[in-house]
Amino acid sequence: MKEHTINIGAQVKRGSAELAILAVLADGPLHGYEISKRIERQSHGLLRFNLASLYPLLYRMEKRGWVSGNWEGPAGGRQRRYYRLGPAGKRRLVPLREEWGQLFRALHTLAGVNHA
Amino acid sequence: MPDWRAIARKRLGPLALEAKRQEEIVIELAGHLEDLYSDALRQGRSHTEALQSAFSAASDWDTLRREIESAVNEEGIMNYRVKTLWLPGACTIALSGIVLRLLQNPSAPSPHVFWLRQGPPLIVYWQWFACLPLVGAIGAYWSRRAGGKLLERALAVSFPVLGTMGLPMLILPFMLIFRWLVHRDALLVPSALLLLIWVVLPEAALLVGALPFFRGAADESRPAAASH
Repeated sequence: MKEHTINIGAQVKRGSAELAILAVLADGPLHGYEISKRIERQSHGLLRFNLASLYPLLYRMEKRGWVSGNWEGPAGGRQRRYYRLGPAGKRRLVPLREEWGQLFRALHTLAGVNHA
Repeated sequence: MPDWRAIARKRLGPLALEAKRQEEIVIELAGHLEDLYSDALRQGRSHTEALQSAFSAASDWDTLRREIESAVNEEGIMNYRVKTLWLPGACTIALSGIVLRLLQNPSAPSPHVFWLRQGPPLIVYWQWFACLPLVGAIGAYWSRRAGGKLLERALAVSFPVLGTMGLPMLILPFMLIFRWLVHRDALLVPSALLLLIWVVLPEAALLVGALPFFRGAADESRPAAASH
């Protein structure tokens, strides 16, 4: 029972993190640090990514073809790995937004019923 | 300014990934740490506080390493092993086998046969030995090109010996013991010569050819575009 609960928690956590990354990348290519700062800023500090939560997820998403990473930067200057939303990522973003919207509406409704 | 790449490389440790991918990840994580550090300095924090801010981004590097390996290898730890070990290894064992088979053809030059006082005659294909450095070079080059580390390259090169003689060499000690118990005669000299001709010399020949491709591992495959 405990393991099941933990698994659900991990899936929810990963799912929400995937949505956050795909959503910020929908506005344009960003490197890892920008992704973390953008998410933190747009969520008003509620969502924060560190190295352990950001990069493994980015690499997993890249492996699935949702995002693609390319080294870019001025010649002779600092190069950064910019991530772009791939076609598979764009396709994934639409149902993810919908699923999470439904989840929050359901939780809101549930909380309202409980409070009544 | 701290050497963020050295810090990230040291803390992350060796990853079970291709050398090129591993270096890219080190560079990327180092860049993230540097950004955190620089941002903290811009916000007026001291050098020590900025360092703490950067290091707070990853407190558990062992978990980070495992997570990254799991993520990158999600679809294929097998892919990496196949590319760097099994395919080059299959190539070396096939080439070695083909050459040996051709030399056993009646039209091929006769092998050297050593008749010993005891045991079966030893057949030596010198032409086979002469070809093995090239076979080893091909295997090591293939493995290195696929991102194989030194261990994968060495194993891929050794496939002809490990694949054909590995099992016989494991059985040999038991056969010698058995023979000693039954006949009081362990055939040590013929066994040693057999080992020399079918294991030591071929392995040495393969490694000689592979040697140039054992050098220049991660540095050569590091992405040129990913420099600070």
